[in-house]
Amino acid sequence: MNREMQIIIEVTNQAENFYEDAVRIGDHAAYVMKDGHRSQLTNLETIADSALKASDVLDYIKRQIARDTRWRQRFPLDHTSNLGFGERLKLYLEQDLAQRRKAVCERLKIGETTDEEHTLRRRIYLLLMRQFLRQVVVQYEYKVYLENTGKEM
Amino acid sequence: MPSPAQLDTLCNLSDMVLYPEAVAFMRRLIYDEECMPLSSAQVNGLQNVANTASYADLERFIKHQRDRNWPESKRDIKILYTELDKFFTTMKNKRLRDEFRLLQGKHHVQEVNQEIDELMALVAHDFIQHLVAENGLLAIKSAAGRARRR
Repeated sequence: MNREMQIIIEVTNQAENFYEDAVRIGDHAAYVMKDGHRSQLTNLETIADSALKASDVLDYIKRQIARDTRWRQRFPLDHTSNLGFGERLKLYLEQDLAQRRKAVCERLKIGETTDEEHTLRRRIYLLLMRQFLRQVVVQYEYKVYLENTGKEM
Repeated sequence: MPSPAQLDTLCNLSDMVLYPEAVAFMRRLIYDEECMPLSSAQVNGLQNVANTASYADLERFIKHQRDRNWPESKRDIKILYTELDKFFTTMKNKRLRDEFRLLQGKHHVQEVNQEIDELMALVAHDFIQHLVAENGLLAIKSAAGRARRR
Protein backbone atom coordinates (compact mmCIF):
# COMPACT_ATOMS: atom_id res chain seq x y z
CA MET A 1 0.00 0.00 0.00
CA ASN A 2 1.36 3.45 -0.83
CA ARG A 3 2.19 6.04 1.82
CA GLU A 4 -0.76 8.31 1.00
CA MET A 5 -3.28 5.48 1.50
CA GLN A 6 -1.59 4.47 4.74
CA ILE A 7 -1.92 8.04 6.03
CA ILE A 8 -5.60 8.26 5.08
CA ILE A 9 -6.36 4.98 6.82
CA GLU A 10 -4.50 5.95 9.99
CA VAL A 11 -6.14 9.39 10.14
CA THR A 12 -9.58 7.81 9.60
CA ASN A 13 -8.92 5.35 12.42
CA GLN A 14 -7.92 8.18 14.73
CA ALA A 15 -11.10 10.03 13.77
CA GLU A 16 -13.14 7.09 15.11
CA ASN A 17 -11.33 7.47 18.42
CA PHE A 18 -11.89 11.20 18.84
CA TYR A 19 -15.54 11.19 17.81
CA GLU A 20 -16.82 11.46 21.40
CA ASP A 21 -14.53 14.43 22.06
CA ALA A 22 -15.78 16.16 18.90
CA VAL A 23 -19.38 15.60 20.05
CA ARG A 24 -18.69 17.26 23.40
CA ILE A 25 -17.01 20.26 21.77
CA GLY A 26 -19.77 20.42 19.12
CA ASP A 27 -22.34 20.58 21.94
CA HIS A 28 -20.33 23.38 23.51
CA ALA A 29 -20.36 25.20 20.15
CA ALA A 30 -24.14 24.85 19.90
CA TYR A 31 -24.55 26.23 23.41
CA VAL A 32 -22.50 29.36 22.75
CA MET A 33 -23.15 30.05 19.06
CA LYS A 34 -26.81 29.03 18.88
CA ASP A 35 -28.52 29.07 15.50
CA GLY A 36 -27.60 32.58 14.40
CA HIS A 37 -23.83 32.27 14.24
CA ARG A 38 -23.35 29.24 12.06
CA SER A 39 -20.81 31.08 9.90
CA GLN A 40 -18.42 31.29 12.87
CA LEU A 41 -17.99 27.53 12.61
CA THR A 42 -18.21 27.10 8.88
CA ASN A 43 -15.50 29.77 8.52
CA LEU A 44 -13.30 27.78 10.86
CA GLU A 45 -13.90 24.66 8.79
CA THR A 46 -13.04 26.58 5.60
CA ILE A 47 -9.84 27.93 7.13
CA ALA A 48 -8.79 24.43 8.17
CA ASP A 49 -9.59 23.03 4.71
CA SER A 50 -7.48 25.62 2.94
CA ALA A 51 -4.66 26.08 5.47
CA LEU A 52 -1.14 24.94 4.67
CA LYS A 53 -0.11 25.07 8.31
CA ALA A 54 -1.66 24.00 11.59
CA SER A 55 -0.56 27.33 13.07
CA ASP A 56 -2.90 29.15 10.64
CA VAL A 57 -5.85 27.32 12.23
CA LEU A 58 -4.62 28.03 15.77
CA ASP A 59 -4.06 31.72 14.95
CA TYR A 60 -7.61 31.95 13.58
CA ILE A 61 -9.05 30.48 16.79
CA LYS A 62 -7.01 32.91 18.89
CA ARG A 63 -8.25 35.85 16.84
CA GLN A 64 -11.84 34.71 17.31
CA ILE A 65 -11.35 34.33 21.07
CA ALA A 66 -10.04 37.90 21.18
CA ARG A 67 -12.81 39.33 19.01
CA ASP A 68 -15.99 37.56 20.02
CA THR A 69 -17.35 36.93 23.51
CA ARG A 70 -19.13 33.77 22.35
CA TRP A 71 -15.74 32.12 21.80
CA ARG A 72 -14.94 32.82 25.45
CA GLN A 73 -18.13 31.39 26.93
CA ARG A 74 -18.05 28.30 29.09
CA PHE A 75 -20.49 25.41 28.84
CA PRO A 76 -21.98 24.87 32.30
CA LEU A 77 -23.78 21.69 31.24
CA ASP A 78 -20.49 19.92 30.57
CA HIS A 79 -18.59 19.18 33.74
CA THR A 80 -15.56 17.76 31.95
CA SER A 81 -14.23 21.26 31.12
CA ASN A 82 -14.54 24.75 32.57
CA LEU A 83 -12.75 26.46 29.69
CA GLY A 84 -14.32 28.86 27.23
CA PHE A 85 -15.21 27.40 23.84
CA GLY A 86 -12.22 28.74 21.91
CA GLU A 87 -9.65 27.92 24.59
CA ARG A 88 -11.06 24.43 24.88
CA LEU A 89 -10.92 23.86 21.15
CA LYS A 90 -7.41 25.32 20.87
CA LEU A 91 -6.14 23.19 23.74
CA TYR A 92 -7.63 20.07 22.16
CA LEU A 93 -6.02 20.77 18.80
CA GLU A 94 -2.67 21.69 20.38
CA GLN A 95 -2.44 18.81 22.82
CA ASP A 96 -4.76 15.90 22.10
CA LEU A 97 -4.47 16.04 18.31
CA ALA A 98 -0.71 16.55 18.55
CA GLN A 99 -0.57 13.30 20.56
CA ARG A 100 -2.66 11.54 17.93
CA ARG A 101 -0.36 12.84 15.20
CA LYS A 102 2.54 11.40 17.18
CA ALA A 103 0.78 8.02 17.36
CA VAL A 104 0.07 8.01 13.60
CA CYS A 105 3.67 8.93 12.79
CA GLU A 106 5.00 6.21 15.06
CA ARG A 107 2.78 3.60 13.43
CA LEU A 108 3.88 4.75 9.97
CA LYS A 109 7.52 5.09 11.06
CA ILE A 110 7.70 8.76 10.11
CA GLY A 111 10.60 10.35 11.96
CA GLU A 112 11.39 13.97 12.77
CA THR A 113 14.67 14.43 10.97
CA THR A 114 14.35 15.24 7.28
CA ASP A 115 12.37 17.97 5.52
CA GLU A 116 10.21 15.26 3.94
CA GLU A 117 9.35 13.86 7.36
CA HIS A 118 8.51 17.31 8.71
CA THR A 119 6.23 17.91 5.73
CA LEU A 120 4.46 14.60 6.25
CA ARG A 121 3.99 15.33 9.96
CA ARG A 122 2.54 18.75 9.13
CA ARG A 123 0.17 17.19 6.59
CA ILE A 124 -1.01 14.51 9.03
CA TYR A 125 -1.66 17.14 11.71
CA LEU A 126 -3.75 19.18 9.26
CA LEU A 127 -5.71 16.11 8.15
CA LEU A 128 -6.49 15.29 11.79
CA MET A 129 -7.58 18.88 12.42
CA ARG A 130 -9.86 18.85 9.36
CA GLN A 131 -11.50 15.57 10.38
CA PHE A 132 -11.96 16.73 13.94
CA LEU A 133 -13.40 20.13 13.00
CA ARG A 134 -15.73 18.53 10.47
CA GLN A 135 -17.11 16.30 13.25
CA VAL A 136 -17.45 19.30 15.59
CA VAL A 137 -19.43 21.25 12.98
CA VAL A 138 -21.69 18.27 12.19
CA GLN A 139 -22.48 17.87 15.88
CA TYR A 140 -23.09 21.62 16.20
CA GLU A 141 -25.57 21.52 13.29
CA TYR A 142 -27.32 18.45 14.70
CA LYS A 143 -27.59 19.91 18.19
CA VAL A 144 -28.97 23.21 16.92
CA TYR A 145 -31.49 21.31 14.78
CA LEU A 146 -32.65 19.32 17.82
CA GLU A 147 -33.01 22.47 19.88
CA ASN A 148 -34.87 24.32 17.13
CA THR A 149 -37.32 21.51 16.59
CA GLY A 150 -37.85 20.82 20.29
CA LYS A 151 -36.48 17.33 19.94
CA GLU A 152 -33.70 17.89 22.46
CA MET A 153 -33.64 15.00 24.92
CA MET B 1 11.10 33.87 -5.82
CA PRO B 2 11.55 31.02 -3.29
CA SER B 3 11.44 27.51 -4.78
CA PRO B 4 8.60 25.08 -3.93
CA ALA B 5 11.05 23.19 -1.67
CA GLN B 6 11.94 26.39 0.17
CA LEU B 7 8.25 27.26 0.58
CA ASP B 8 7.59 23.80 1.95
CA THR B 9 10.44 24.19 4.44
CA LEU B 10 9.08 27.61 5.42
CA CYS B 11 5.68 26.07 6.19
CA ASN B 12 7.35 23.48 8.41
CA LEU B 13 9.39 26.20 10.03
CA SER B 14 6.30 28.29 10.67
CA ASP B 15 4.55 25.47 12.56
CA MET B 16 7.56 24.05 14.36
CA VAL B 17 9.66 27.12 15.18
CA LEU B 18 8.00 30.46 14.44
CA TYR B 19 4.67 29.69 16.12
CA PRO B 20 6.10 28.53 19.49
CA GLU B 21 8.73 31.28 19.41
CA ALA B 22 6.13 33.98 18.71
CA VAL B 23 4.03 32.70 21.62
CA ALA B 24 7.09 32.69 23.92
CA PHE B 25 8.19 36.13 22.63
CA MET B 26 4.84 37.75 23.44
CA ARG B 27 4.49 36.01 26.82
CA ARG B 28 8.00 37.07 27.82
CA LEU B 29 7.23 40.70 27.02
CA ILE B 30 3.96 40.69 28.92
CA TYR B 31 4.73 38.44 31.87
CA ASP B 32 8.48 39.01 32.37
CA GLU B 33 9.00 42.55 31.05
CA GLU B 34 5.57 43.59 32.32
CA CYS B 35 4.61 45.25 29.04
CA MET B 36 1.01 45.86 28.13
CA PRO B 37 -0.36 43.95 25.11
CA LEU B 38 -0.10 45.88 21.85
CA SER B 39 -2.93 48.28 21.05
CA SER B 40 -5.13 47.76 17.97
CA ALA B 41 -3.38 50.70 16.28
CA GLN B 42 0.04 49.11 16.72
CA VAL B 43 -1.24 45.69 15.69
CA ASN B 44 -2.85 47.06 12.53
CA GLY B 45 0.24 49.08 11.61
CA LEU B 46 2.60 46.17 12.07
CA GLN B 47 0.34 43.74 10.24
CA ASN B 48 -0.22 46.08 7.31
CA VAL B 49 3.49 46.55 6.79
CA ALA B 50 4.14 42.81 7.16
CA ASN B 51 1.43 42.00 4.61
CA THR B 52 2.34 44.50 1.94
CA ALA B 53 5.96 45.60 2.16
CA SER B 54 9.25 44.03 1.17
CA TYR B 55 11.43 42.85 4.02
CA ALA B 56 13.66 45.91 3.58
CA ASP B 57 10.61 48.15 4.13
CA LEU B 58 9.50 46.13 7.15
CA GLU B 59 13.00 46.35 8.60
CA ARG B 60 12.97 50.14 8.13
CA PHE B 61 9.54 50.36 9.77
CA ILE B 62 10.66 48.32 12.80
CA LYS B 63 13.86 50.36 13.26
CA HIS B 64 11.91 53.58 12.86
CA GLN B 65 9.44 52.53 15.56
CA ARG B 66 12.32 51.36 17.77
CA ASP B 67 14.19 54.66 17.47
CA ARG B 68 11.23 56.98 17.92
CA ASN B 69 11.26 59.13 20.99
CA TRP B 70 8.31 57.48 22.74
CA PRO B 71 6.91 59.07 25.90
CA GLU B 72 7.44 57.06 29.11
CA SER B 73 3.80 55.93 29.02
CA LYS B 74 4.55 54.15 25.72
CA ARG B 75 7.90 52.56 26.60
CA ASP B 76 6.28 49.14 26.01
CA ILE B 77 6.10 49.89 22.30
CA LYS B 78 9.79 50.73 22.21
CA ILE B 79 10.62 47.48 24.03
CA LEU B 80 8.52 45.47 21.57
CA TYR B 81 10.18 46.94 18.48
CA THR B 82 13.66 46.65 20.04
CA GLU B 83 13.08 42.94 20.69
CA LEU B 84 11.49 42.41 17.30
CA ASP B 85 14.50 44.02 15.61
CA LYS B 86 16.87 41.73 17.55
CA PHE B 87 14.82 38.66 16.62
CA PHE B 88 14.74 39.43 12.90
CA THR B 89 18.38 40.51 12.77
CA THR B 90 19.50 37.17 14.25
CA MET B 91 17.13 35.36 11.93
CA LYS B 92 18.48 37.17 8.88
CA ASN B 93 22.20 37.08 9.70
CA LYS B 94 22.48 33.65 11.20
CA ARG B 95 19.50 31.32 11.62
CA LEU B 96 18.22 31.45 8.03
CA ARG B 97 21.54 30.12 6.78
CA ASP B 98 23.03 28.09 9.66
CA GLU B 99 20.00 26.71 11.50
CA PHE B 100 17.38 26.36 8.78
CA ARG B 101 19.69 25.98 5.78
CA LEU B 102 17.25 27.82 3.58
CA LEU B 103 19.69 29.53 1.23
CA GLN B 104 20.27 27.84 -2.10
CA GLY B 105 23.98 28.50 -2.59
CA LYS B 106 23.75 31.42 -4.99
CA HIS B 107 27.11 33.02 -5.84
CA HIS B 108 26.51 36.68 -6.59
CA VAL B 109 26.10 38.94 -3.59
CA GLN B 110 23.12 40.68 -5.16
CA GLU B 111 21.35 37.36 -5.78
CA VAL B 112 22.05 36.18 -2.23
CA ASN B 113 20.73 39.44 -0.78
CA GLN B 114 17.60 39.23 -2.89
CA GLU B 115 17.01 35.64 -1.80
CA ILE B 116 17.47 36.59 1.86
CA ASP B 117 15.07 39.51 1.45
CA GLU B 118 12.38 37.31 -0.11
CA LEU B 119 12.72 34.57 2.49
CA MET B 120 12.77 37.06 5.35
CA ALA B 121 9.57 38.69 4.07
CA LEU B 122 7.81 35.32 4.36
CA VAL B 123 9.36 34.47 7.73
CA ALA B 124 8.47 37.90 9.13
CA HIS B 125 4.92 37.70 7.76
CA ASP B 126 4.29 34.41 9.56
CA PHE B 127 6.06 35.41 12.77
CA ILE B 128 4.04 38.63 12.98
CA GLN B 129 0.79 36.75 12.24
CA HIS B 130 1.54 34.39 15.17
CA LEU B 131 2.62 37.31 17.36
CA VAL B 132 -0.54 39.31 16.72
CA ALA B 133 -2.80 36.30 17.36
CA GLU B 134 -1.08 35.62 20.70
CA ASN B 135 -1.20 39.31 21.56
CA GLY B 136 -5.00 39.32 21.10
CA LEU B 137 -5.36 36.32 23.38
CA LEU B 138 -3.13 37.83 26.08
CA ALA B 139 -4.93 41.17 25.81
CA ILE B 140 -8.24 39.46 26.63
CA LYS B 141 -6.69 37.57 29.55
CA SER B 142 -5.09 40.74 30.84
CA ALA B 143 -8.40 42.64 30.62
CA ALA B 144 -10.24 39.79 32.39
CA GLY B 145 -7.57 39.77 35.13
CA ARG B 146 -7.94 43.51 35.66
CA ALA B 147 -11.76 43.20 35.80
CA ARG B 148 -11.49 40.46 38.44
CA ARG B 149 -9.19 42.58 40.59
CA ARG B 150 -11.59 45.55 40.56
